[in-house]
Amino acid sequence: MKVSFPYMGSTIVYKKLFEFLEHEVIMPPKPTQRTMDLGVKYSPEFACIPLKMVMGTYLEAIEKGAKVLVTSGGHGPCRAGFYGDTHRNILKSLGYDDVELIIFDAPQDNWKAFWRNVQKIRNGVPWPKVINRMYTLYRFVQKLDELEKMVQKIRPYEINKGQTTQVWNEIQEKFDKIKTRKELYKVYEECKKMLLSIPTKEVDEKDKIRVGIVGEIYVVMESSINFGIEEILGNLGVEVERSLYLFEWINDNLVPWALRPKRFKEIIKKGQRYIKILIGGHAVETVGHIIDFKERGFDGIIHLMPFACLPELVTQSLIPKISKEVDIPILSLPIDEQTGKANMLTRIEAFVDLLRNRKKGRTKEVFVNEFQQHADEERVVVV
Amino acid sequence: MKSIYIGVDVGSVSTNVVAIDKDVNVLFKTYIRTNGQPIDSVKEGIKQLKESLGNVEVLGVGTTGSGRQLAGAILGADVIKNEITAHATATIHFVPNVRTIFEIGGQDSKIIIIKDQMVVDFAMNTVCAAGTGSFLDHQAERLKIPIEQFGDLALSAKNSVRIAGRCTVFAESDMIAKQQFGFSKAEIIRGLCDALVRNYLNNVGRGKNLEPPFVFQGGVAANKGIKAAFERELKSEIIVPEHFNVMGAIGSAILAKDYIEKTKAKTKFRGFDAADIEFTTSSFECKGCSNRCEVVKVSMEGKVIAMWGDRCGKWTNSL
Ligand code: SF4
Repeated sequence: MKVSFPYMGSTIVYKKLFEFLEHEVIMPPKPTQRTMDLGVKYSPEFACIPLKMVMGTYLEAIEKGAKVLVTSGGHGPCRAGFYGDTHRNILKSLGYDDVELIIFDAPQDNWKAFWRNVQKIRNGVPWPKVINRMYTLYRFVQKLDELEKMVQKIRPYEINKGQTTQVWNEIQEKFDKIKTRKELYKVYEECKKMLLSIPTKEVDEKDKIRVGIVGEIYVVMESSINFGIEEILGNLGVEVERSLYLFEWINDNLVPWALRPKRFKEIIKKGQRYIKILIGGHAVETVGHIIDFKERGFDGIIHLMPFACLPELVTQSLIPKISKEVDIPILSLPIDEQTGKANMLTRIEAFVDLLRNRKKGRTKEVFVNEFQQHADEERVVVV
Repeated sequence: MKSIYIGVDVGSVSTNVVAIDKDVNVLFKTYIRTNGQPIDSVKEGIKQLKESLGNVEVLGVGTTGSGRQLAGAILGADVIKNEITAHATATIHFVPNVRTIFEIGGQDSKIIIIKDQMVVDFAMNTVCAAGTGSFLDHQAERLKIPIEQFGDLALSAKNSVRIAGRCTVFAESDMIAKQQFGFSKAEIIRGLCDALVRNYLNNVGRGKNLEPPFVFQGGVAANKGIKAAFERELKSEIIVPEHFNVMGAIGSAILAKDYIEKTKAKTKFRGFDAADIEFTTSSFECKGCSNRCEVVKVSMEGKVIAMWGDRCGKWTNSL
């Protein structure tokens, strides 16, 4: 089967999944302006941006020859639960009758449907092989996420601008080639060394700024839609951590209850201090992570929300209260096709200024940052 | 010879240039329409500054506003800062105990919350016109009243009529209806001022704790009608600083001053000749991927000094 999937975050993982199941994988292109234009054109106007971008991605993947599109469904009252069906209807109305959309809803919602889907994508690969390879994939995701977290801690302090990002790109290429578990561990060690050998500057612990990124999964995970916010922050000298990483998502959503790490439950509990019932999307998690980041000593939170996303809108309306009670600055950035980069940059920069000043407890004094952007070699910018 | 620091604020509507001395006395200020020609307006501002002050020693230069990168590249700025930090810096200097800054310009507006002379929160609005100066411009035109008379007329009204000002479109039709009911122009204008303030506070100030002292700045602060509407709404005095329409530029000059004084660095200012140097901007469509970014390139005498507009950083990072 010529299989493709939505583009979100570290897509090599999904590619590996289908390779392990011996499908022919049609790699969806990383979303660009064209993806957005296509998605906007063929989606309902008031849909949120993830629906539109995924729509655009499907159309581009189909252009490249995809016949089967695999995606996860939503569950709970947020309209993400309708995405799959909406996409399916749009594809049908565009005349793609030969393209199949397989939607994986949470197994507990409908075991039978889930099982049918599993059989379909298992592609006749014998079960022992499937299990073995899935375990490899599980570790693959884990290792890749570990490396990405390292990237986010190294980038702010790199001496040669852009080097960390470059190494990270190389790492992803290396991971793309991995076939076995043994190879995985070897490549992982190599990559770790590559990252650790990036020259960085010494920064005093009390001068380090840490920002947690929370919000709806697609805008948090996919850099092409959030303007590469992790890189922007990294270049401003800020360490970043997201509320969502693929490995944790798998643990929280796909691993059987009994084996799940306790962390997820704790986050939900923290979130329920402010949102008592499940309202879909990632609202409760978003709040839970805000509190968790604060408890772990982070300096600020950036909350990403797709414009018109209901659960995140609820979160946003709670933010002034949470920010005050938990005592952490929070910046909400709505994202949609109209969002301009210049405006977003101003907000992010001003927010980082605010965090630095707050940390220094200084008044009226400029914090002369060592992490300067250079637009030309001789010009110095105070960030 | 006077020693000065220069501050430049390049926005989409106007370009402001100021010069301050080491005690932050404003020695010069000018306000130029950007008219889509930021390079020309920056050059023009610098030229005017030179003509007005004569021989000066420039110790530092700061830029801010949406054109801050461009202005920084052509002038050789020491500090390039976002508008929020720049505005706050200037306001804190003139009104040290300020808690809330209202900044309303032609196209955008912001609220900045200050505590102990530090920015603790802020919000910006650039989408909805109902809380910005262009809302007033537009309605003034409709009513055929020069915008300069708007404020005085608003103050002359005894009563206000409530204009539904959630959105410019509704405001307009509501205003026409109220005119037909026989309300006077003055009353309607006062109603419009109230609507703008309500909108601004509801949109930009949503969920924020607004504490006095309040400082009101930006181009719209010239309008007495709006100031009065703020005072009615907040039941508190509103301070409009002397240099209300160039606070961003002053802030960036102060930031440059602080930076130079602190690091003892020598300024990167290219000199007043910058006004005569040929800067050319060109743009091209990158075909590196399907984003097809419109990349802007600024060169000085043939040498590329700045690029932006690429989504991937391929060009920005290539310098
Ligand atoms: S500048 Fe980068 S993102 Fe833009 S079209 Fe070129 S390669 Fe693509």
